[in-house]
Amino acid sequence: MSFLKFVEEPLFYFAAAVFLIGALWRVIGIIRIGRKPDLAPAKGSGTAGFIAGNLRHFVPRNIFAKRTWIHIIGGYGFHFGLFALLLFAAPHIKFFDERILGISWPALPRWGFIIAAQFAFAGLIMLWVRRFSDPVMRLIADWDDHISSWLTFLVMLTGCLALQESHDILKAIHMLFVDVWLIYFPFSRLMHAVTFFLSRGYTGATYGRKGMTL
Amino acid sequence: MLHRLIAAIFFTALMLMSLSTASAQSVRPPANAVNQPDSEQERVGTSNTLGTQSQSDYWRALRHGKSGISTTGRNDGLLIQSQGEDWRLIRKQYILKYSGWVLVGVIALLVLFFLIRGRIRLKGGRSGKTISRFSLAHRTAHWFMASVFIMLAISGLLILLGRIALAPLIGKGAYAIMASAAMQGHNLFGPLFIIALIWLVWLFIPGNFLKMVDLKWLAKGGGLIGGHASAGHYNFGEKVWFWFVVIGGLAISVTGILLEFPWLVENLLFLQLSTIVHGIAAVGLIAFALGHIYIGTLGMEGALDSMTTGDVDINWAIEHHDLWYEEVTGKPINKSGEDSDDDSPGHAQVYTQSRS
Repeated sequence: MSFLKFVEEPLFYFAAAVFLIGALWRVIGIIRIGRKPDLAPAKGSGTAGFIAGNLRHFVPRNIFAKRTWIHIIGGYGFHFGLFALLLFAAPHIKFFDERILGISWPALPRWGFIIAAQFAFAGLIMLWVRRFSDPVMRLIADWDDHISSWLTFLVMLTGCLALQESHDILKAIHMLFVDVWLIYFPFSRLMHAVTFFLSRGYTGATYGRKGMTL
Repeated sequence: MLHRLIAAIFFTALMLMSLSTASAQSVRPPANAVNQPDSEQERVGTSNTLGTQSQSDYWRALRHGKSGISTTGRNDGLLIQSQGEDWRLIRKQYILKYSGWVLVGVIALLVLFFLIRGRIRLKGGRSGKTISRFSLAHRTAHWFMASVFIMLAISGLLILLGRIALAPLIGKGAYAIMASAAMQGHNLFGPLFIIALIWLVWLFIPGNFLKMVDLKWLAKGGGLIGGHASAGHYNFGEKVWFWFVVIGGLAISVTGILLEFPWLVENLLFLQLSTIVHGIAAVGLIAFALGHIYIGTLGMEGALDSMTTGDVDINWAIEHHDLWYEEVTGKPINKSGEDSDDDSPGHAQVYTQSRS
């Protein structure tokens, strides 16, 4: 079995299983914690607050915009770029089609891929720099944050280095980092990708019940 | 099935197009230009190896741009571009030959300097009091540029020098893989360098124009000779580095764009010049950056703080940027190099002479 075949098949399926089961386990665990009973009479809808809390956080607040513009630009640049790469890069669509889903969809043209990658890299670098430059972020960041950032960076970097698609080993290195990333995901703050809506929603629902406008 | 059919039609159309283009743009020499005997046997007995008529004149005319026998499109009327040979020689005999040694030489000089001078320590030690030197935007722009620059430097050096420095060690096959990866990475991060450069220049240009005090700083060798050298927010060395980044970065950006999008220029000479300028500017910037990294980390105590936390120790500010310290605090520094403030630890938020 070649190294490429190993990282694309047995190791990938193992990593995907760890990713799915681990992420599901943690989400269910969070939901099972529940919430403390609120004995005060509700002045508004908790459900509406849950939804509003999720949506409101996507829009930066004016009073903080000047202080947080690096975070905002970096955050949006990275996440949009990453999702564009993940879902619309031609090699990824081919992989999803042939190995997982059995369906295909239109891919980004090469120039679109390059621009998405540049947004993703620029955003990730800005966010990581902020992590050790900003005094508050530096205090609350730990090794898990840095490993998550670097692992994501290496997944993206190795993928882009294999863009010429002319050497199997480059593709295999990319897949190896993807596998490691998937295995690391449930045990790290990368989990925010699937738990962010719960935390935002929890805050939003609490405020919603109190009748506060978000 | 349908997309296969479409692909087959497209492919066939492409083949036909290339055939028709090839016949319209034939580079075949005219019949009378070829006068060599067909076989080795026929050549024996002729006056020279080229037959009765030399081909030299014909090819010489082509080398010097004889029109009428060429392809269409870029460089009409030019089959052989003579400057290409000059470009190849310049690249091989100067850039490839010396650029690696320039970088090795700079590293050797820095090691030697460190061994002789050692780390430049704070004479008065750390005071425990700090003042702000760079905002979060400055630090982010700086590290954004640094990250992109390091990626480009590594990938660029792999492309430029890998064949002569790395391929003999790891083999041509392994180097081919690294070169492919480096090329993709270099092209990807290149445009980010331009964005980083614009951001960096916008934030750092205030305070980086030369003043008389910079000449005094230079005359004292930055404090190495002739005692303490006063400096504002940026000293002469930092200003030279800034302008080197601006000019070198501009050269790299413009030539990089031309190399990534070669169809932007009609004349091949621009692309050849671009590779030379790109290489020289890049090696120069990397060499300068090595010195910058040295002095910012190992070479000088307290310097790195300004780019990590954004704050510097007051003693560092007084020793290395006394005029800036006086300007932003409004406190004169006495002759012993101390301000008149109390000794309690703390932090002073001050305005920097730059955009925030």
